[in-house]
Amino acid sequence: MNSSTEPTQGISEYQDNLEAFREIPFFSGLPLEPLKVLAYLSERRRYNPGDVVFAKDDVDQNAYYLLEGSASLLVNGDEDAKLKVFKAGDFIGALSLVGDMKRLFSLKATEHLSVIVLSRELFQKTLEQFPDILYKFLEAVVDGVYDWEKRLLYKHAMACTACLPHLGVTLV
Amino acid sequence: MITKRPITYWIKHSNKKLQVILLAVIVVTVATRVLPLEMQKKIVNEAIGMRKLHLLYTYCGYYFAAVVLASALKYVINILQTYIGQQSLAQLRKELYAHILTLPLSYFRKANPGMVVSALVSEVAPTGELVGMSVAVSVTNLLTLIAFAVYLFYLNWILAALTMVLYPIIMLVVPRLQLRTNKANKARVDVTRDLSSSINEAITGIHEVHGNGSFGIENRKYGDFVDKLFRIRIVWILYKHGVKVLNNFFQNMGPFILFIVGGWLAIHGEFDLGALVAFLSANEKLYDPWKELMDFYQVYQDACTRYERVMEYFDVKPESVLEPEGREPYHLQGDIACKNLGFTVPGGIQLLKQVNLDLKHGEQLALVGFSGSGKSTLAQCISQLYAYTQGSVEICGNPVADMTKSDLAHNVAIVAQSPFIFDGTIRENLLYGCRAILPPDDPDYEKKLPSRDDLIAAVQQVGIFADILRFGMNAVLDTDGDKELTERIIRIRGNFQRDFGKNLADAVEFFEDNAYLQYSSVSGNLTFGHPLKKEFKPQNLPSNPFFREFLDQAQLTNSLLSLGRELASQTVDILGNLSLDEAFFRQSPIRIDEFNEYKDLVRRLGDDSLQKLDEKDRERLLRLGLRYTPGKHKMAALPAMMQNLILDSRALFMQRISETDPDAYSFYRSDKYIDSLSILENILFGRLKTESPKDQERIHQSLVQLLIEEDLLERVLEIGMEFQVGAKGDRLSGGQRQKLAIARAFLKNSPILIMDEATSALDNASQQRIQNILESKWKGRSTLIAVAHRLDTIKGYDKVAVMKAGKIIEMGSYGELMNKKGVLHELVHGADAGH
Repeated sequence: MNSSTEPTQGISEYQDNLEAFREIPFFSGLPLEPLKVLAYLSERRRYNPGDVVFAKDDVDQNAYYLLEGSASLLVNGDEDAKLKVFKAGDFIGALSLVGDMKRLFSLKATEHLSVIVLSRELFQKTLEQFPDILYKFLEAVVDGVYDWEKRLLYKHAMACTACLPHLGVTLV
Repeated sequence: MITKRPITYWIKHSNKKLQVILLAVIVVTVATRVLPLEMQKKIVNEAIGMRKLHLLYTYCGYYFAAVVLASALKYVINILQTYIGQQSLAQLRKELYAHILTLPLSYFRKANPGMVVSALVSEVAPTGELVGMSVAVSVTNLLTLIAFAVYLFYLNWILAALTMVLYPIIMLVVPRLQLRTNKANKARVDVTRDLSSSINEAITGIHEVHGNGSFGIENRKYGDFVDKLFRIRIVWILYKHGVKVLNNFFQNMGPFILFIVGGWLAIHGEFDLGALVAFLSANEKLYDPWKELMDFYQVYQDACTRYERVMEYFDVKPESVLEPEGREPYHLQGDIACKNLGFTVPGGIQLLKQVNLDLKHGEQLALVGFSGSGKSTLAQCISQLYAYTQGSVEICGNPVADMTKSDLAHNVAIVAQSPFIFDGTIRENLLYGCRAILPPDDPDYEKKLPSRDDLIAAVQQVGIFADILRFGMNAVLDTDGDKELTERIIRIRGNFQRDFGKNLADAVEFFEDNAYLQYSSVSGNLTFGHPLKKEFKPQNLPSNPFFREFLDQAQLTNSLLSLGRELASQTVDILGNLSLDEAFFRQSPIRIDEFNEYKDLVRRLGDDSLQKLDEKDRERLLRLGLRYTPGKHKMAALPAMMQNLILDSRALFMQRISETDPDAYSFYRSDKYIDSLSILENILFGRLKTESPKDQERIHQSLVQLLIEEDLLERVLEIGMEFQVGAKGDRLSGGQRQKLAIARAFLKNSPILIMDEATSALDNASQQRIQNILESKWKGRSTLIAVAHRLDTIKGYDKVAVMKAGKIIEMGSYGELMNKKGVLHELVHGADAGH
């Protein structure tokens, strides 16, 4: 077994998860009570290099926090069309916690990968207990989408004139 | 129709034989009731008056015998009347339920289950009581009254007439009061119905209530009804008791008149004392039958009110007959024709307009369009779930409106939008549709059901095979000494270790003698075996003296107590304020039903030292400590030192138990079957480390091959088919439920198959698989009408009909419609069409 999934001496996996959740922007603004429940309910998974975490067109209802290792985001599962690489500390899939969506990309482990997985089922069960956190969570999602588009617009979009008519996801 | 029957129908149609016996018993009873009166008179006048002892004994003997006989007969009457009443009630309940089930679907949109339950359970109950009482009480008491009255007139007609004068007054006043009681009762039934609606609504929508925090709103809604019911019930009960009190009052006036008039007559010597005594007690005896008649009258009124209310509520005509008369149900081909089909719902809203369709047997039609365009409604009108209002649907020339439910069931298989899975096993659910169309008394019943191979084929086609196999693998077998089976499983264990042991080491934790098992409990790690005796079962270990002594000796007691405390306080800290939900307890050593007990324990414990604990609490904490499984219960960590200590104690435990009680355990050994573990765990000889579907898939794939080699695949699959799906199938996922419903429809092998968004909860691969089966296996065999929720599955259909606002606006093959660049083209390309 890989050391990260072994309960660290004295500190439980739950406490470890709790620390991780407090670092994720989507969750860091939430009160401690629901965070505890989320940290308790999420599970760890490990992947070997080459394992697929999710594939294009999967209706994947999980969000992932990368603890260790790295994974690449692919279009059509094609190694050559690698979009970007996610590393430890990255969080993927906040939108999957809110609604059904087929994955447009595939995620493949490039090194030994260890993640915290939170499923929509358990996230929503938690929401039922703390209804007022939904608004805060959605606000964080909106911030995320807004920052994304802003970055795209000011930093990259001018380099690709063909992309310009397709901008405007924040107007959805 | 049952709802048109008056309440008297049930009296007329109650058990005749018993009613006749009852009448006979009643006549004898009445005689035994009058006899003691005559004896009273004779005892006073002849025995005591004449001082004749032997007469006293004789008359008292008669008196005693009559009283004993009257009591015994009264009991017999009670038994008979209860039996008759309950028999009719059972009949009424069955027939009413059968009627309710046949009511049209539209009826159930407004009706609520709570009301149906209260109607069938409580509101009809007084009818049964009434049927039982009808003959027994009315005849017994009327006859008794008449007999007493005649006897009184025989004693003294003036006194008799005087006491009787009260009864007409009662009979005049009571019905007026009763009328008001009935009015209140009717209102009570109505408010009770509203109340049950309100409860039903809140419970069904409980997630919204929690989600919106609308506890106050719901409490007020409910509270209003309860208050209303409170007021009505008070009025109802006041009137009800008013009737009783009034009746009582008039009854007690009787003796008053008797004393005044009878006393005057006796003093003037015109009436003897014995007669006066007899008269007094006869008059007193009038009280009971009269009271019973009044009770009967009230039960009658109550039953009538409720009965009428219930029957009014369900007084709806079923849209079609259940079984055909004078012929077998049709066995048709799948030709379907809709001509100018229309469906208008109350309010004049046209859900379907002028739909024309023509499908030959074996053709496949996809219905597409936005939600609300009438796709599902069309499918439901064709399958008779809704009765169309204009035009016609014909199956092989037979109008669907004229067909019976049984005709439809024999020729159409339906997969509903949100299919319902019933409590029971997977197998029972698969056979549900097939069983429904077989008469239960068919001698070849079992033979006519799909065979095991048919079942396996069907579950394979819909892609639930692997899931069912998994259920089978996870079952704990009752091997009952089936040596042959256990030997085969152990052989598979060996092969599995050889072929896959290395590969799967990251997903399975094998039982190893000298390793701490992260996915087994602390007690499992200590005992490393399966208990054969009750006192060594895991739940009994905390209170087992031998085990406790062992823990002390191994110096584990205190660390386990602290571990238990840590587990309890962490769990309570995380979950303490949540409403209890099974999902929150999957990763906790505390079970949902124990949570409050531990919550209380944590509160009591506070920061106190463990030394102060009493024995009960020690056991509670030990229970958690022993249950603790590091790989599963993540809220606490197991210090490495303790882990080593436990591992060291394993050998000590084995040694001690073999010395004192060698038959207590069967230790884990690679050549022995372990009865307490599932088939899977027996093959793995270890435990799964992961819940991840991918790893499970990997393991199962490697196992299938091994199962086939040992010819066990079908056996395990059959075990999996006995999996209990839970109420509403809630132990299955949405996808599994849908697949099961599709397999259920496939197994019927009907000429017509209707699928209403039947694959909406499935992933791509499963959808594609079912689409392939429909094209390869069912095309040409069954006519298919599929309401499509996604457009990428419809290419293979013979025809595609695009619906909008209740009309078919485009119909043709996929290619034709796409070439035409009409509405379908626009739908398929969506917003991109413009670019």
